[in-house]
Amino acid sequence: MAAMSLLQRASVTALAALSGRHPGTRLGFGGFLVRGFPKTAAPVRHSGNHGKRLFVIKPSGFYDKRFLSLLRFYILLTGIPVVIGITLINVFIGEAELAEIPEGYIPEHWEYYKHPISRWIARNFYECPEKHYEKTMAVLDIEAEKADLRLKELEVRALMRARGDGPWYQYPTVDKALISHSPKATPDN
Amino acid sequence: MPDNWDKDVYPEPPRRTPAPSPQTSLPNPITYLSKAFDLLVDRPVTLVRDFIDRQHAKNRFYYYHRQFRRVPDITECTEKDVLCMYEAEMQWQRDYKVDQEIVNIIQERMKACQQREGDSYQQNCAQELEQFTQVSKAYQDRYHDLGAHYSARKCLAKQKQRMLKERKAAKEAAAA
Repeated sequence: MAAMSLLQRASVTALAALSGRHPGTRLGFGGFLVRGFPKTAAPVRHSGNHGKRLFVIKPSGFYDKRFLSLLRFYILLTGIPVVIGITLINVFIGEAELAEIPEGYIPEHWEYYKHPISRWIARNFYECPEKHYEKTMAVLDIEAEKADLRLKELEVRALMRARGDGPWYQYPTVDKALISHSPKATPDN
Repeated sequence: MPDNWDKDVYPEPPRRTPAPSPQTSLPNPITYLSKAFDLLVDRPVTLVRDFIDRQHAKNRFYYYHRQFRRVPDITECTEKDVLCMYEAEMQWQRDYKVDQEIVNIIQERMKACQQREGDSYQQNCAQELEQFTQVSKAYQDRYHDLGAHYSARKCLAKQKQRMLKERKAAKEAAAA
């Protein structure tokens, strides 16, 4: 503050010295400035705890702070209930224990998982792997049969066309009974 | 695993802590530290764990390991039998996973042995080292270099190539 006021006084005197013919000098203290310099120079007060209060010039942290605070908010909005839920499940329901499959018992497909949440997901959303296996085998079987039959059809077509003793490639011809075998007048009939 | 493991496979080295023979009459600070640890850390953790175990004991449920039946191999399938080939393929993939885990277990045994023996591992762990080299050689012969689209058929083809090479080497050794 002392330095600032010194600077101001120095600048004013320099201005007055440099621009003696300038209209600014007649305007008095402050020159072209609208508000002018302060009329009184108050003694600078230094606080005992933090040192001198400074106006720190730094780039705006408003946008960064806002982004991080919003990020934290939206992550914790669902994060905290999820974490609380999982903790309660682990404490009160607990994981399954490993056991031998009893005689004559076929476990359901979700009973092969340990954690209760995995078991719930497998029970309600996933299909059992045996079903998937059988479905894949059914699809493979059908496709293999189709491929087989298509190849056979090609072979059969070729053979029937060549040999002519099958139901395909039979072309309708004129009825035999309509042919008259009687001798004709001219030879080219 | 940390509480009860196979003591024959991973043996504990004999303890070598000497009997306490204090040279000074000052009290040992370690007793105070261990008592403080016991009071501040061990007891609360044990209480919480006991509470959790009591809650778990109220409703127990079990999980099982999948049992797969053995199906005919890829070598026993006729040529166009897609169903047999699919089942053999699935079985081969399961066996591949099992073999990977076997190699991991043998490797872990070797690592544990090395950690136990310290600098003298090369003579004391000879058995584990031998086992590991054999198992990894066999794994490499069977499964290595099958490519990204591996399958039981490609593994079988690799085995055929290996057998052809062996036969040729045997014939050359017999001729020479």
